[in-house]
Amino acid sequence: MRTLSTLPSKKRHGTLALLPGPIGIGLAAGGVCALAAGMVGLILDPDRLSFDRISELVLGLAAIAIGITLIRSQPETVVNRAKAMAMFVAGWTAMTLVAVVVFLVAGEVESPMDAVFEAVSASTTTGFTTVADPAELSHSFRFLRVILPWTTGLGVLMVAMGVLPAAIGGAELLPKRRLGRERQLVTTAPVAIRNILGMYLVLTISLVVGYAIAGMGAFDALTYALSTASTAGFANHANSLGHFDSAAIEWVASFGMAAAGGNLLVVWWGLRGRLEAVWRSTELRLYVLLLIGGFAIVLLGGDLDASDSAVAITSMLSTTGLHSANWGASASFVQAALLVATGIGAMSGSVGSGFRQARVSRVALEVRRALRNLLDPHRIGVVRIDGEAVKEESLDLTIGYLWMHGFTLAGLALVMHTPELDLVASLSLVLSIVSNTGVLLSGGEISNTVSLSGWSEIVGAVGMLLGRLSIYPVLITAAGFGRWVSRLRPHRSIGAEV
Amino acid sequence: MLERRAARRTTDGFTETSRRVPSTVAHISGLALLAITPGLVVSAIVEFIGAGDAGWMILACAAIFGVLGAVLWRGTRLGDLAIRTIFASVAWSWLLVSVLGSLPFILARTFEREGVGRWIEVADAIFESVSGYTCTGSTVLTTLPDIGDPDPQVGHGILFYRQLIQWYGGMGFVQLVVTVLPALGSRALGFMGAEAPGPTADRLAPRAADTARILWKLYIGGTIVMAVAFALAGMGPWDAINHSLATAATGGFSTYNDSIGEFDSVAIEVVAQAAMLFGGANWALHWLFLTKSRSVYSRDHEFRAYIAIYVVATVAIAARLTVGSEVGGFWSALRVSSFNVASLISSTGFGNAQGTGTAGDFVLWSATPLTVLLLLMVMGGMSGSTAGGTKVIRTRVLAAVSHRTVAVARQPRAVVPVKLGRDVVPEGIVKRVSLFMMAYAALVVGGFLVVTLLGGGLEESLSGVISALGNMGPALGDAGPTATFLDAYPAPARMVLAFLMLAGRLELFAVLLMFAAPGRALRKIRPHRRTF
Repeated sequence: MRTLSTLPSKKRHGTLALLPGPIGIGLAAGGVCALAAGMVGLILDPDRLSFDRISELVLGLAAIAIGITLIRSQPETVVNRAKAMAMFVAGWTAMTLVAVVVFLVAGEVESPMDAVFEAVSASTTTGFTTVADPAELSHSFRFLRVILPWTTGLGVLMVAMGVLPAAIGGAELLPKRRLGRERQLVTTAPVAIRNILGMYLVLTISLVVGYAIAGMGAFDALTYALSTASTAGFANHANSLGHFDSAAIEWVASFGMAAAGGNLLVVWWGLRGRLEAVWRSTELRLYVLLLIGGFAIVLLGGDLDASDSAVAITSMLSTTGLHSANWGASASFVQAALLVATGIGAMSGSVGSGFRQARVSRVALEVRRALRNLLDPHRIGVVRIDGEAVKEESLDLTIGYLWMHGFTLAGLALVMHTPELDLVASLSLVLSIVSNTGVLLSGGEISNTVSLSGWSEIVGAVGMLLGRLSIYPVLITAAGFGRWVSRLRPHRSIGAEV
Repeated sequence: MLERRAARRTTDGFTETSRRVPSTVAHISGLALLAITPGLVVSAIVEFIGAGDAGWMILACAAIFGVLGAVLWRGTRLGDLAIRTIFASVAWSWLLVSVLGSLPFILARTFEREGVGRWIEVADAIFESVSGYTCTGSTVLTTLPDIGDPDPQVGHGILFYRQLIQWYGGMGFVQLVVTVLPALGSRALGFMGAEAPGPTADRLAPRAADTARILWKLYIGGTIVMAVAFALAGMGPWDAINHSLATAATGGFSTYNDSIGEFDSVAIEVVAQAAMLFGGANWALHWLFLTKSRSVYSRDHEFRAYIAIYVVATVAIAARLTVGSEVGGFWSALRVSSFNVASLISSTGFGNAQGTGTAGDFVLWSATPLTVLLLLMVMGGMSGSTAGGTKVIRTRVLAAVSHRTVAVARQPRAVVPVKLGRDVVPEGIVKRVSLFMMAYAALVVGGFLVVTLLGGGLEESLSGVISALGNMGPALGDAGPTATFLDAYPAPARMVLAFLMLAGRLELFAVLLMFAAPGRALRKIRPHRRTF
């Protein structure tokens, strides 16, 4: 398979020289989203010929044009991991910037900081919003909020499946089961893109059809399907899926969220008839166990009916954030279980976020091995997942990530200034930000809408980005940027003063 | 034949022909019970002097401890000294002592309340005893007196016993046992390590038993100095002695409902802060300061981090409280923030609130200061101290591991050692720290779920579990510094918290592995061939 990292190269370039390409891709992707949103506005919004709608189209076209120009200037080169991470962050930032500009021009958010928060929330598939009642927004704005995370989700899947270089954390978590070449998800780049895009589209279209059959209108079915497939959780209504009060819609959403939080590779195995490999997947078994266990806890422990319980657990575990009933008023145990579920998050190789099921199973097995080693220091134990030994370096990366995750949560909780929230609300906000879930539990109510100070919105945006990219790519890029800035400073002369 | 006989000779010199049952667990537990007995006798005497009516009951408990301890000690001998046995011995002796330690409370009906069954009383007594021995300081006792109470509901002997059990638990009674068991030899350090707070046990003398003796002497000396300092700051002798026992052990039980806040004295609070920070620091450092070098504190990177965290947390909370006008002016904010930060970083748990709703009642503060306090509860004091929590050194190691992870993610072939300052931390220690923290995280999450399942609120459950594992004392929500754990948690939830206190005091491993040795012994029960 040819990836960016294996392209035939004649020359090595510095990181800066490599950035135009990914920035161009980001701009183009953002431009396509803006253009699509503008077209939706032209068709559906009553003020279709207003300055806002036209400016969305113009901005979209301009971003695409600049993006294509930048992509064409990209040299072919060898890309190491640090550069790949910087490229991914740059591309993601460019796409988010397009969204920020469009949000500001559209004038449907109150301040520039709100626009940044909303755009980052969308492009990280989080789903937090600063808008109290999304139903009052224009169709184009609502569409842009769900097409952005859908695009990000596609990019995340491409990286997670190894089509693009390992630019975000978690590549080491993918199962290593060998299949025949004709049965592999990723053989060559075009085949991989076809397979991944195909499965992603099939899920999205199935959801559109499912929602429509269950009773949603066309626009709602499309936007909720995009939001569900990308685990974003943006809703067109203040009370999310609860607006429809339909068990059929809730069941469709539950299956959609559960599928979106599943590992694409395992789904692929299932589609290719390798059911034995699917069953052997430790991560899948843990995911199913948590889904069933969580469903039972929510159903038995609260006053929610079956469909509401299914939405609650699938939404929190897949880090989507849609909700159909207020589980914030349920028993403490139900709330605690759902918060823990969102902390654990979805499977690796999915659009979902959080700490990830694969890491949980690795940590649990490492604890078991270490306890055994404590009793018998001379024992040499191996951690096995799906019947195969996990490399020690890979295991160290997982353990190290656990501490980084903990420090990130603690650091954000410390710097997040939320005087209007109590401790539980503040901690749930931070957890939801880092897990990219987008659900605030405050005062016995759950909501996707947050009202934060400018400072907290910046902190929240950074937290969402850290969570979406598995923390260290952002740190590595920031450190590289810091080094670049420090090199710009004039050096002191070593020679003697005259 | 002689070689075989020599091989069967155990470390304490008894051979196969001895009638004593080889059981390290029972032997150590017996000695631990014997170590507590003098404390019970002293408590009985205090009760008699205070004209309380529980003197004979406490004395009866002393007899039970003495007899049971003697039977276990004299009826058994040291057997297997494998690591699993060491962990099991420490864990089972702590469990036995802290559960039996509830006997004086049970017999004196200390927790008798209207409308509460006898079993709940017993559960409360066990909770209080475990909280005391593990130096946690969480209480369910609602009948503590005020200063000058002419008719206290709890006798002086019981109050003194409640303070004394913290003092026993502070340095650890297994460490005390080690000083009188030379037969343990090099394994003594293993026993100390299984009980000592921190990733490793400090060694102050070539022989582990000598190290234990040094630490106990220092501990006694430190307690006396604290009592004198409290007296000079304005406490009466009775209060000074009781509070010095709790402070040296970083326990946090007070003889008053409002804890240190009862005195409403800045001088006493300053002394208490200094004493709590002293107790939360590494006692080996104190010894080295007294005997070797005056610069040990400034050279120790963990101590520097400990003090820096104390200062930064104090200033940050005081600034936030001042800006938000939450407790009055800056000085009031500084007073409550410095005291409560010292109290929680050292895992003591004293409070300086003069009743519910006053400045020191930190449960009423906003989310940011509470988050700082919660994180201090997680971190706790220094290794080698009497403090609980995960310890400053482990936090630093984890930060270094995180840094290494980023470096390796950037350059997968890089070999990056974990460093603290200029010192490279051995991989074995790094692994052990990682294991501890993973187990800690699992217990926090598991405990949080279980306590909420048993009826605790979200805030109370999370903070209660962290407080119990860190042996802190107060939690947040309805279990703050001016409240007891009685209303915040149902009785079963309190039992779970008591178990977590024990796990936290023994640094998790001993409790997690306490069934390993008995399980192995049970598996081995089968007919033996007679060699002789």
